[in-house]
Amino acid sequence: MKEHAFYVGREGREVFWNIPLPVFEILLFALTAVALGIFGYGVYHRWRIWKAMGKPEMRLDNIKERVITVLKEIFLQNKVLKDPYPGIMHALIFFGFFVLIFGAAFDAGQHHVTEPLFGWTFLKGNFYLGFSFLMDLFGLLVLIGVIIALDRRFVQKPDRLGYKGEIDNTPDDVIVLLLIGAIIITGFIVEALRIYVTNPPWEVWSFVGWLLSRTFTGIELDTARILHQLTWWLHAVLGLGFIAYIPYSRLLHIITTPANHFLESYKPTGYIEPIRDFENAEAFGVGKLDEFTWKQIFDSDACTRCGRCQDGCPAYLTGKPLSPKKMVQDIKTYWLENAPAAVAAKKAELEASGEAAKQNVFMRGLNKVDSVVDKAVLSFKRDKAPAEKALVGEVVDLHELWACTNCMYCMEHCSASIEHVPKIIDMRRYKVLTEADFAPELQLTCRNMENNSNPWGVGAHLRGDWAKELGIKTLAEDPSVEYLFYVGCSGSFDDRGKKISIALAKILQEAGVSFGILGNEEGCCGDSAMRAGNEYLFQTLAQTNIDVMNGYGVKKIIAICPHGYNALKKDYPNFGGNFEVYHHTEIIAKLIADGKIRLTQPLSGTFVYHDSCFLGRYNNVYDQPRQILKAIPGLQLVEMERSFDKSFCCGAGGARMWMEEDIGERINNARTKQAMAVKADTIAVGCPFCLTMMSDGIKDQQMSETMQAWDIAELVVKAMGKEEVKPPVDACAV
Amino acid sequence: MNIIACVKQVPDTEAQIKVKADGSGIEEGQIKWVMNPYDEFGVEEALKLKEKNGGDVTVVCVGPARAMETIRTALAMGADKGVHICDPAFDNADAFVVANALAAVIKTLPHDIIFCGQRAIDDDSGQVGAMLAEALGLPQLTLVTKLDFAGSSVKVIRPIEGAQLLIETALPCVVTCQKGLNEPRYASLPGIMKAKKKPVDVKDAAAVGIATDAKAKVAKTVPPPARPPGKIICGDEPAQKAAELGRLLREEAKAI
Amino acid sequence: MAKGVMIVAEQRDGALRKISLELASTARKLADQTGDEVSAILLGSGIEGLAAELGKYGVDKVFVGDNAAMEPYITEAHAAVVAKVVKENDPAILLLGASVQGKDLSARVAAKLATGLATDCTDVKLDGGKFVAIRPMYAGKCFGEIVTSATPAMASLRPNVFPAAENAKAGTVVKVDAAVDAASIKSKILEVQKDTSGKVDLTEANVIVSGGRGMKGPEGFGILEELAAVLKGTVGASRAAVDAGWKLQKDQVGQTGKVVSPNLYIACGISGAIQHLAGMSSSKCIVAINKDAEAPIFTKADYGVVDDLFKVVPELTAVCKKLVA
Repeated sequence: MKEHAFYVGREGREVFWNIPLPVFEILLFALTAVALGIFGYGVYHRWRIWKAMGKPEMRLDNIKERVITVLKEIFLQNKVLKDPYPGIMHALIFFGFFVLIFGAAFDAGQHHVTEPLFGWTFLKGNFYLGFSFLMDLFGLLVLIGVIIALDRRFVQKPDRLGYKGEIDNTPDDVIVLLLIGAIIITGFIVEALRIYVTNPPWEVWSFVGWLLSRTFTGIELDTARILHQLTWWLHAVLGLGFIAYIPYSRLLHIITTPANHFLESYKPTGYIEPIRDFENAEAFGVGKLDEFTWKQIFDSDACTRCGRCQDGCPAYLTGKPLSPKKMVQDIKTYWLENAPAAVAAKKAELEASGEAAKQNVFMRGLNKVDSVVDKAVLSFKRDKAPAEKALVGEVVDLHELWACTNCMYCMEHCSASIEHVPKIIDMRRYKVLTEADFAPELQLTCRNMENNSNPWGVGAHLRGDWAKELGIKTLAEDPSVEYLFYVGCSGSFDDRGKKISIALAKILQEAGVSFGILGNEEGCCGDSAMRAGNEYLFQTLAQTNIDVMNGYGVKKIIAICPHGYNALKKDYPNFGGNFEVYHHTEIIAKLIADGKIRLTQPLSGTFVYHDSCFLGRYNNVYDQPRQILKAIPGLQLVEMERSFDKSFCCGAGGARMWMEEDIGERINNARTKQAMAVKADTIAVGCPFCLTMMSDGIKDQQMSETMQAWDIAELVVKAMGKEEVKPPVDACAV
Repeated sequence: MNIIACVKQVPDTEAQIKVKADGSGIEEGQIKWVMNPYDEFGVEEALKLKEKNGGDVTVVCVGPARAMETIRTALAMGADKGVHICDPAFDNADAFVVANALAAVIKTLPHDIIFCGQRAIDDDSGQVGAMLAEALGLPQLTLVTKLDFAGSSVKVIRPIEGAQLLIETALPCVVTCQKGLNEPRYASLPGIMKAKKKPVDVKDAAAVGIATDAKAKVAKTVPPPARPPGKIICGDEPAQKAAELGRLLREEAKAI
Repeated sequence: MAKGVMIVAEQRDGALRKISLELASTARKLADQTGDEVSAILLGSGIEGLAAELGKYGVDKVFVGDNAAMEPYITEAHAAVVAKVVKENDPAILLLGASVQGKDLSARVAAKLATGLATDCTDVKLDGGKFVAIRPMYAGKCFGEIVTSATPAMASLRPNVFPAAENAKAGTVVKVDAAVDAASIKSKILEVQKDTSGKVDLTEANVIVSGGRGMKGPEGFGILEELAAVLKGTVGASRAAVDAGWKLQKDQVGQTGKVVSPNLYIACGISGAIQHLAGMSSSKCIVAINKDAEAPIFTKADYGVVDDLFKVVPELTAVCKKLVA
């Protein structure tokens, strides 16, 4: 080793200062190899578990976008930072650690590569000073991040880090944080001791180490050298231990979470893969873990238990047992319990087929190691063999399964791109299709859809009655119209919903839009059936509608119900229904912008817009409804605390509209209270289900005297001055 | 245990019933056909008996070709096999003919208990169960709301006006099912798929071998008198309104 | 040649049921058109004295089968005796009540006699000497005119529809042998559970008095209980009332509760959300009491009262008490 000479003007430091070379270096290399070996084996072991269970699923389309996504999620911490406080906490640790590792790589690179091979050193002078400063700064940031994290876990204890008020800190959570903290602190101590002994004036740039070194005054230099060596080893062992620990701890998310971002779905938001083969399947949906795809199971390994999903889950927040986080974690636990047996089965299969013998030496060696480890693990766990549990009903409780409103909050805000809702629908499919075991009221709804193509079971022949006397043509009468107005069940059968249909028809007529309806040829969109897990019924309903629509050559569709809107737009293409689908707020906003309708009649009061999940999170329609409200003179528009992508569901999605809600607070009441909190006197909505829920909520809260709920279309008709004022009912006129 | 469930295909409760202009019946074009809801109780009870005591459920149906859907529905719920009595000769069959046709087929099958709906919601006759029992020479238990199987007999609850009877009857017998007996199950999808492959024996009039002349004929079908629009009760005082309402309920609606 | 009108009278606990008098009067009217005789079959134990009352309502001759085997009512026993009497006397028309017992008996007898039966008729007439029975079908969505190609032409009459009018005739008692071979009777009545509460399950109730959000609280349902008690009905509730905890889930009428179709449905303080309408719109007569004249329930109601239910319901209870007394 060459002697370095550092002085003011050629600032720097000796990389392995105070470390006797080459003995210690060799020892360090050896330890590094061990750590990497443990790490590598851990990842391999996990890889086998990932592969052991689940049906195949391809997620390798759009490679370029996937790579960009992963880079964005890692280096911009995109989803993580959506929630600022914990986001910054994570970013501090992540970026800090990342920079420190880079720094270590610079050190190693100079010491082992550029200097011995090319005689080139770069950690010197001003670069060194800046480098030192940055390393200390980011070390400090990591430490701050760790402190914030510990504060959250042990002092602030936000509910999202637990379940129903119980914080679920595991030893691992604590170990990881303390480990990171210890690595940083020992690093600083090593640095401080070096500065203390060598005392170069420029090390003031390593400001943390420099400040720390000032506190060592009085320590003998030789003692400091010994302390330095000891701390150096401690730092090295902790650092290597960190690497080795990754696959066996929550640190695994360093691998699984970016991988899950890479594997994210490129289907439209909320897309549910249809069942494509009814004829030859024995069972439908997911009743056993193995019936999930491997990706659906892998999801659970990417979960960091951050709890963002739980924080906005309408079911969880109103006291239902469902927490998306808990569900994913329960699946993960169940998977890890069952994976060893699945791995063993795969291995046995491989050996039985003779494939195992054909493997190369390395793989055979790995298999040997596996056998030893598996045996050891098994003997350790002998008494803790996993109990026989059913995935649906035990691992995931039925109350959890049916509490979900499919509102999409969890998926929108998951910082690990986990897909909760499709799992829930898959398990519901199992209950409904395979077992036919589901709530009686939901069975009635399904029968009604089967027999009369609407969830209430009103006679199908009455579907077009609302439009009688309004001068609206059916497509049978005039198929040449530009838009099909797909009315949906609420707009056709529910007396309250019919008023929305009439309002929209009036607006379209006033604006001179060419449109028609299907009348009695229209059928239920099937969204509720699909989200209840009754895929068979959904496809029957969808196909009937698609055949009718294609029969008339329909191209553009307007829907007043976001459920139909979403189903027609995203699910119908699977069955040959390819239409341009618009929600009525999109159309009305455009008509206003184009000056086709004029809103002249002022409306007074404080209005709040409630985002329908199927409009907002599912279809990104946040602005048009608000633009419309802003175009209405007179009113004051306010926002609820939970709005836009953080909007709180009304409680009707995911077929919950048709089910009793007997656990906890009613979701619609919780939402109504949120509107009351901002002193709104009108809740404007863009969804007939939301309208029902908000209207009921207002009545339940005894607010009928001062609060009302209206669909945006109805408000527009009022603002156009086209509302028909009914004469007061003469009670005795008849 | 050999269990028979008789089923009929009827228009959905909510279906629009339009009387043909010539009064010869109803327009069938737009109608959604379903299994008679009371027969569903019978199928469900049959399946519950089978699940508890073992055995075999056969559904027997008199009806046109479309009625096969209803047989398949029962098979999807879990019945084992079907007999479809299908012949244009039965198009105008009355309860007497239907009961005799069912009896002719059931005589050829082993039977310990036979379930029928208490009535079909199309013609609302409510005769077939009793007539079938007579044709088979078996005891009948009509309008049953609870059934317990006790080896060689059944104990049932049968509501009558102002009371309910607990009756024990030796098997075999005919039971007609009333709402309240059970909650019919929703067919599972594997059930629906399997139902497509279950055996259904289709028999024409010749194979059944009975006279097909109806004893009671619907000479004419007429639409109901137009439902009077709802009345808002007049009066200045609540007491006045209550008195008028009471009078109308008694004299006009005959509801009390 | 078949001739005359015969009825099967119904008695319970030693008293004629009202339907028997309705049958007698209706038979009298038919028989008078052709100048024929009205006869009646009266079965039971210790019931001979009831024949006179049938005479008062127009019956010429009463075939009385007074035998312990006739009590309590067992289908096979009664059917055998009725069929025997009918065969021996060969009436042209045979009328029964469309009560629970009458429905049970009529079909069995029709099968024994191999003749046609029109059940639950709301009108009967002679058209050119031919008996025509008019009856609702498809839950009243249409009516059928039934003719019979065999004798006797049988019909069961819906209770409470045909008037009972006194028209005294002889009411001569003709005793018939009503003994039955005990071995041929396979059914045994183990217990008659008399309904003392007067309450029946919602789905079986003839009268339902339902309350909704307008009841304002669980105590509000007291007045509905009183009305229901007078009408021998059952109290139901809308989802809003159940959700509010005022009534139990089992009392809920509607899409997600019980689907009911009583003869009379009285909706009090219920606005009529579609999910509620889906559960009760097949009721035969619907009454709505609500102070909101715009409530959708009024569009489905046969009778509506726009007023404060807390004032109307107690008054209605008092009125009904007098009417049913």
